[in-house]
Amino acid sequence: MSRRLPHVQGERIDRGNTVEFTFEGRRLQGYRGDTISSALVASGARVLGRSFKYHRPRGLLSAAGHDVNALMQVRREDGSVPNVRADVVQVAADWDINAVNTRGGLARDRLAIFNRLAPFLPVGFYYKAFHSKRWFPRWERMFRNLTGLGEVDLRAPHRSTPKRYEFCDVLVIGAGPSGLAAALAAAEQGASVLLVDENSSAGGSGLYARGGATQFAQQTEALIATAQGNPRIRLLTSTYAACYYADHWVALVSPECLVKVRARGVIVAQGAYEQPAVFRGNDLPGVMLASAAQRMLYHYAVVTARRVAVLTSNSEGYAAALDALAHGVELAAVLDLRLEAGVDSTAAAQELVRRGVPIHYGVKPIEAVAGADGGVASLVFESTAGVAPGKHTLDLDSVWMSVGFAPANALLHQADARMSYERSTEQFVPQTLPPGIYACGKVNGVYSFADRLEDGRNAGACAAGQIGFGIAVERRAAIAARECPTHPYPVFPHPRGKEFVDFDEDLQVKDLRNACQEGFDSSELLKRFSTVGMGPSQGKHSNMNALRILANVRGEPIERLGPTTARPMFHPVPLAHLAGRGFTPERRTALDSDHEARGAVWMPAGNWRRPEYYAIAGKSREQAIADEVRAVRARVGMIDVGTLGKIEVHGPHAAQFLERLYTARFANLKVGMTRYGLLLDEAGVVVDDGVIGRLGEQAFYFTTTTGNSATLFREFGRLATSWDLPVGLVNLTGHYAALNLAGPASRAVLREHTELDLADVAFPYLGVREAQVAGAPCRIMRVGFVGELGYEIHVPFQHAADVWRALLASGSRFQIQPFGVEAQRMLRLEKGHVIVGQDTDGITNALEIGMPWAIKMDKPFFIGQRSLRVLAKQPRRQTLVGFTLPSSDEASVQARRRPKECHLVLDGGQIAGRVTSVGWSPTLARCIGLGLVTPQVALRKHLRVRIDRGEEIDVEVVQAPFYDPSGERQRVGDPL
Amino acid sequence: MRLSPLEPWSRALPVAPLDDGALLKFEDLSLRPRFGCKGPDAEVWLATGGYRVPREPNSAVVDADGVLVARLATAEFLIEAADGGVARVESTVRQLTSPARPLNVYPVARQDLVMGIEGAATNALLRQTCSFDFAPLLDRCDRDGGPVILTSMIGVGVVAFVRRAAGGSVMTLWVDPSFAYYFWKTLLEVGGDLGPWSNT
Repeated sequence: MSRRLPHVQGERIDRGNTVEFTFEGRRLQGYRGDTISSALVASGARVLGRSFKYHRPRGLLSAAGHDVNALMQVRREDGSVPNVRADVVQVAADWDINAVNTRGGLARDRLAIFNRLAPFLPVGFYYKAFHSKRWFPRWERMFRNLTGLGEVDLRAPHRSTPKRYEFCDVLVIGAGPSGLAAALAAAEQGASVLLVDENSSAGGSGLYARGGATQFAQQTEALIATAQGNPRIRLLTSTYAACYYADHWVALVSPECLVKVRARGVIVAQGAYEQPAVFRGNDLPGVMLASAAQRMLYHYAVVTARRVAVLTSNSEGYAAALDALAHGVELAAVLDLRLEAGVDSTAAAQELVRRGVPIHYGVKPIEAVAGADGGVASLVFESTAGVAPGKHTLDLDSVWMSVGFAPANALLHQADARMSYERSTEQFVPQTLPPGIYACGKVNGVYSFADRLEDGRNAGACAAGQIGFGIAVERRAAIAARECPTHPYPVFPHPRGKEFVDFDEDLQVKDLRNACQEGFDSSELLKRFSTVGMGPSQGKHSNMNALRILANVRGEPIERLGPTTARPMFHPVPLAHLAGRGFTPERRTALDSDHEARGAVWMPAGNWRRPEYYAIAGKSREQAIADEVRAVRARVGMIDVGTLGKIEVHGPHAAQFLERLYTARFANLKVGMTRYGLLLDEAGVVVDDGVIGRLGEQAFYFTTTTGNSATLFREFGRLATSWDLPVGLVNLTGHYAALNLAGPASRAVLREHTELDLADVAFPYLGVREAQVAGAPCRIMRVGFVGELGYEIHVPFQHAADVWRALLASGSRFQIQPFGVEAQRMLRLEKGHVIVGQDTDGITNALEIGMPWAIKMDKPFFIGQRSLRVLAKQPRRQTLVGFTLPSSDEASVQARRRPKECHLVLDGGQIAGRVTSVGWSPTLARCIGLGLVTPQVALRKHLRVRIDRGEEIDVEVVQAPFYDPSGERQRVGDPL
Repeated sequence: MRLSPLEPWSRALPVAPLDDGALLKFEDLSLRPRFGCKGPDAEVWLATGGYRVPREPNSAVVDADGVLVARLATAEFLIEAADGGVARVESTVRQLTSPARPLNVYPVARQDLVMGIEGAATNALLRQTCSFDFAPLLDRCDRDGGPVILTSMIGVGVVAFVRRAAGGSVMTLWVDPSFAYYFWKTLLEVGGDLGPWSNT
């Protein structure tokens, strides 16, 4: 049964190209240009989907992709695609299409049993029934099986989805009459304009809300042609604006990708969503928005009904009635909710009467009744005026609803516009808009065609003028409506319910009333408890009616309640778009490929990758790490520390600047020497540490931890400005590589590549020198990084590989061993060195980590000093202690009967701290560790630690460092 | 020996030979002689040394010898032998890194990955990788100077400069060398989606 009309002016289908496809196992035919919905309706289909909760049959509602009724699973050549919006996606040949969310198919959905169980599934039932912790996993599985929309095809081929940026002077969102007028006005003043519309063609309601005439459609087509011919205007169709962010960033969703637009001005001309009336059976297939029927008529030449009643309260409904007559649809009646036609409806009403159409006024719809096919077969209503006041039943196959509009103002909310409720239009309109944001047309409360053009022209001229194109124009107030387009309360409760407010979530009037009675009686609470507006359509057809019901229950005017905020993204976005190409920067040191060649096993460190250890064939990870540790202690090892932050500070105030930053003293630091520095925040919490070397009277070079370098550099710049200290800061982190050569043989290895005098007298412990190493200009710091004689060599990035390879070559006679982060951690742990961020946490202050020698409280100022003064007078909260496992052996460590980092320290069953660092020391042949514990526990000989599987063991408290406590090895070394 | 930041991965990165039909051409310019300097006297010192110094921050000039001087901030400069002037730049580097350098001028290490991009798809590439609108610069750039843009591209801070060249506009990007592998590989990947490309 075809519902296709002969050619209709403006139709979007290509009748020369037929498209065959399958729907629910039936072979059907449409034309190229048809959406899935239009092709289905043209083929006589009324039921397009099943509702989410009660699995009620659902048909065409908005025909705009704004509702959830027509979501499809489409199997096509490149895989199965879920949740295809049938209203807006054009059908293609050989697609195999099925409605989502059914069991056994659309016609025989077994889950339709839920419709009968509706009395037992009131709003919020799952909060009350399924909260038991014990049973929750079972309920969760059940709900996951029963609910959901389309199914993801895991075999679908991977598609790379790019993201793109666009730029324009003025972004116009919505290419209906007002948007077109705005775009043209802005372009005429010289602005570059990006005009976007969610539909496949521009024109909006100007092309389908015709009232049986052609005048508005012709004017709209002329506007489109002018816009398309304007070189300053770019028109993007099938593209919707999904969210607004600060500074005029707007996310556009096109069929191919996400487009992020930066505009200098934004005009929102998105129009308004036509709203359903709320009455029993308002969700039956055949009951639809009048605009849906008009879209079908004029875009696809499809008639949705043979006999229809138009339920209305505005001039748009009368126009739809005339459109029905113009295309041979039998008009059973016009049912006006008002007591008489409005000023803009009068002429149409007279025309309808002249053509024999009965008009009822003061209508109260009672019930739409389903026929054998599940679609609407009759409508029961009462009227108080018009042709025959009283109760009536109309036999029909469709009801077109035109009872009002909700402005598409989600983006305006996101842009922080302030709204007010306008009684003359019964809608929220912008009261105050942020700079550079404009609203025009229906979203601005302007409804007549001519007024929308005028409003759009003014908005476009203002937007362009405000950013310097043409003359500055004053924004005029919205043109007042002559007839209210929206009924104030199109809600008609029925004793037996099934008057749906939210079609996504199957919410009825009683659900919202019950929610209010339970105390969820604000718009935000009502939304969360009842889930109204939280489905795929994001409340486009439900939020305003829900708000009206809430206002009615509370007995307050709607303007006191206010709408909920539509969060980004307010319209469905394909996950492929969001999961499209993302950029995750990764930093690699200058020696990365050398590590790769040596079998490095990588680990992330901030946004760097670092060798965790170097794999050795035939050896376990633990054995490889132990070998690296032994090599450093016995011979010589080398580690890439290029990830350290590296910063220079210059100028006569450089020392003063560092004195204020760090806890140590630097004014008296001699040129050519280094000093350890602790960096605190204002609360005295340890945030970083590093080594500061003095290269000259006014030049210092220092390191920060790997993860903090970028943040600290920015912070240092801010502090220099706020302290009014004119220092020069240079961030060398990426431009300098660094490596640490450590072990008794390190001096011998280095000596082969530098003319620098490495003797203790000439280059003492904690010295810093600038010298050539392997022909490269280097900075060398003699620091006890891992507790051995060692040299930290900093070298420009592009020379680093030469230096590394030269040292490896000369170190071969000592069996030099590159070592990774894990060996470094153990070496430092043996020395009791604190690792900031591992042995400290976000609240560990400098007094708690046992380094009083690093804190110079007698300085005039350093960050955190005031807090430390206060903290010093208070009892310690925690303290860092060393521990070892008594009589531990490697076998027990291998058996995992040892603490791990973050295992809890217990005191009488209560938490008394945690393990911060722990590991098997190959040097000491026992398990050692550090823990942050309460001061009381720290005084004991043993700590009780809960390890894996709830087991508890005792560890022995010992004084750190565990290795070479006098520090002789790093100070003097052991020249080989 | 000075190596390009890309050299360690030269065998791992894709290569496409020069092709007249390429919509994008990527060039590794990292080995051009270059230095940075900063400090209150840097402007005067550069001018005294014969460099043409841009008057405004975030702008660059290329002098008759082909030396580019970019002013990155009020008192921070990047100098590179772009089309020539190698000896002069190298001489200045030696002076700047010697103990006798001027007191209020200090060197800034510039070990950057320097990437040249040209071709018909340059703007399309930038539209997918950077939130700054380079189109006006690509359309209306000069041969001997223009704005310098400090922005973020694929999550990495870059210094960007667009010049008019014989075949059209050429973009030069200066990038922290530790991002070299990621940056080069990612831009080639994105460029590959846009059409044929070549690199050197």
